[in-house]
Amino acid sequence: MVAHLLSLRFRLLVNGFKRSTWQLVGAIIGLVYGLGLLAAIFAGMVGLSFAEPIWGRTVAVLAGALAVLGWLVVPLLLRGFDQSVSVAKLRSFPLPPQKLLVALLVVGLLGVPGLVTLLAALSTTLSWIGEPVAFLTAPFAAVLGALTCVTAARALESVGASLASGRRYREVMGVVVFVPVLLLGPLVAVVGSSVASIGDDLPSIAAVVSWTPLGAAWSIPGDLALGLGLEALAKTGIALATLGVLLLLWRRALAVSLVAAPTSSGGSSASKGLGPFARFPGTPTGAVAARTAVYWLRDPRYGGSLVALPVLVVVGAFLAATGSDWFLVTLGPLFGAVLGITLCAEISYDGTAFAAHLSTGVSGVADRAGRVVTLALFAVPVVVLATVVPLVLLDRAGDVPALLGVALGLLLTGFGVSSIASTRFLMPVPAAGESPFKTPAGSTFKSQLGMYVAWAIVFALSVPEIALGVAGVVTGQLWLGLASLVVGIALGSVLLVVGVRRGGASLDRRGPELLAALRNAQGS
Amino acid sequence: MTDAAADPVVPAPGGAPGPTTPSGAPALQITGLRKAFGQKLAVDDLHLTVPTGSFYGLVGPNGAGKTTTLSMATGLLRPDAGTITVLGTDVWRDTVRAKSLVGVLSDGVALFDRLTGEQLVTYHGLLNGIDRETVAQRTGDLLDLLDLRGAAGTLVVDYSAGMTKKIALACALVHAPRLLVLDEPFESVDPISAANIRDILAGYVSGGGTVIVSSHSMDLVQRMCDHVAVVAAGRVLAAGTTDEVRRGSTLEDRFVELVGGRQHNEGPSWLRTS
Repeated sequence: MVAHLLSLRFRLLVNGFKRSTWQLVGAIIGLVYGLGLLAAIFAGMVGLSFAEPIWGRTVAVLAGALAVLGWLVVPLLLRGFDQSVSVAKLRSFPLPPQKLLVALLVVGLLGVPGLVTLLAALSTTLSWIGEPVAFLTAPFAAVLGALTCVTAARALESVGASLASGRRYREVMGVVVFVPVLLLGPLVAVVGSSVASIGDDLPSIAAVVSWTPLGAAWSIPGDLALGLGLEALAKTGIALATLGVLLLLWRRALAVSLVAAPTSSGGSSASKGLGPFARFPGTPTGAVAARTAVYWLRDPRYGGSLVALPVLVVVGAFLAATGSDWFLVTLGPLFGAVLGITLCAEISYDGTAFAAHLSTGVSGVADRAGRVVTLALFAVPVVVLATVVPLVLLDRAGDVPALLGVALGLLLTGFGVSSIASTRFLMPVPAAGESPFKTPAGSTFKSQLGMYVAWAIVFALSVPEIALGVAGVVTGQLWLGLASLVVGIALGSVLLVVGVRRGGASLDRRGPELLAALRNAQGS
Repeated sequence: MTDAAADPVVPAPGGAPGPTTPSGAPALQITGLRKAFGQKLAVDDLHLTVPTGSFYGLVGPNGAGKTTTLSMATGLLRPDAGTITVLGTDVWRDTVRAKSLVGVLSDGVALFDRLTGEQLVTYHGLLNGIDRETVAQRTGDLLDLLDLRGAAGTLVVDYSAGMTKKIALACALVHAPRLLVLDEPFESVDPISAANIRDILAGYVSGGGTVIVSSHSMDLVQRMCDHVAVVAAGRVLAAGTTDEVRRGSTLEDRFVELVGGRQHNEGPSWLRTS
């Protein structure tokens, strides 16, 4: 059965290529990237074999721990993660969970990310050429580590998926995603004060990490090379226990998801009244705005699309702590660029429910404007905060007008551009009711490309305020900053209106074709 | 198929008026409708006239083009050729006006199911451009009519299949359409809800409205509809009043006779347990 599932997986991959050349292009780019990465890692490992064993262990443990973390986190952040053989699709076959688990493990390990991880892990063997004992144990430790990576990812995903089938969990998720945003201020302060000198402490950090489930497996050959036999034994125990616990968790979640209904209802709280529908104006535009507001609050996919924002804050804070604060300074404009483009996915999130807009004959402009209004109510304050707070904390309040101009310009221009863009192409998104982090069906390189093109257009249209803003920050001239603010808001507003009008006209024209595409997306 | 084309109850190409045409334009008139998906011809030169005030059943095997036809008639899918008028208004020329005359319940289309039932009906009403007070009053009336008052504050995603069909029907009715187009309104609906929906539709027709339903249930169509059209392979095989089409036998037997493809075998031997 393992072989059978594996051949199914590759069959799906090949058929995907047949369906779209863009997917093939994406895969080839991914392959070249992976091979380049591997070549670099191999070269690095050979070089490392000439260094002290302590460095070999440090690199293996830290890189390995990062790999495990990556396998845990990346599927949550990135939607393009391979999931062609998913448990939900296999549910109807009489497969014992035990066998399915082995099969899925092999399938996961032999995917592109799995193979790259496995080969990179095996390459650590090269760094122990001079140490016979470590050289012989390294391949086993590497396989153990790679298995931990795949198992951890699959276990988390299974546990998450079986939890996510309860609607309450999903609603909570929507809120949880926003928590890091609220912690923005404290986070900056804490990270800024604690991480001062990190370079020399790497070996001792590695030593600590090697005792955790993240790093134990990767540290075994290094410990042997350093003559710490007992430590190596203990860490083998930790690594095996980690793998065992993960497998157990995965098996239990798998057994649950093999029998559970795809969507279990219940635990629903009846709400009274019309909510946002009573507060927004009673017009088609107001209705669309109210409906989108309900969805921002209730549909975790909307909140999930903002997961990049807290990541930006953390990266900015980290870079600021290590001495370069440029990232934190540009946080507002980055937020503006990210939030402005969010609207690109809105019609895709609607799915075939978009038929309601089509069958009622609501005008495209009302549709576009309603969606912009709701996002703006939330995005404008967030962008203003993300611009002002870091600058005040960094004691650079003088740069606020310049950067606020750039940030608001990007946000408003983004609204305009994505109002048009979302009527031209559909984003691959998880279907309504699925986990916000579930991989969408048929994610193609082409629609990703469409989003990057939209982004490029946003930046191109925002060149005036960006130029003025940069000039203002560099020269420190207040009037340049104020000019950036005025131009950003004025030009952005004009482009927003143009975008809503033209997007609305495009929606009126292309509505039936969009619905047909949405039906196809649902069917695949 | 050629037998069926010679059938006297098939309307002549060009759309001869239906048998019981009242004064004024028919509720729905389809002429020369054509739609292809890639190589596959889903609707092939289809003609259909639905008289105003009729309760019209549309029956046909899977893949006959029923949903495709109804989607095109309600402005959801662009036809390759042909014209469709609703009460004299061309659906694809004067789209907004035509849509204001039609209420739609689509099959295989999601609802905005994160809204509560009350919010969803309100949403459809407001999208149609009706003012808030009227929408609130009609929403209340419809929730009472469909016995959904108790579930008004529950999210539609937590509704049962029957309740979902009923709330979708409420959404289709909220703007007081003259023509109601319902694609598979009885699928996965329990018998009691189905009977209630049937009563509401009969009341709507007796009040001067026109209803078109597509269904797989021949019994239901025979009992409920005064007109029926049999569709297969994208064409109308027979159309007219229910009595004209079934010609004394049951609608189901007549349907099988028209469409063909009934097989008489008992399946492979390994499927038999005794």
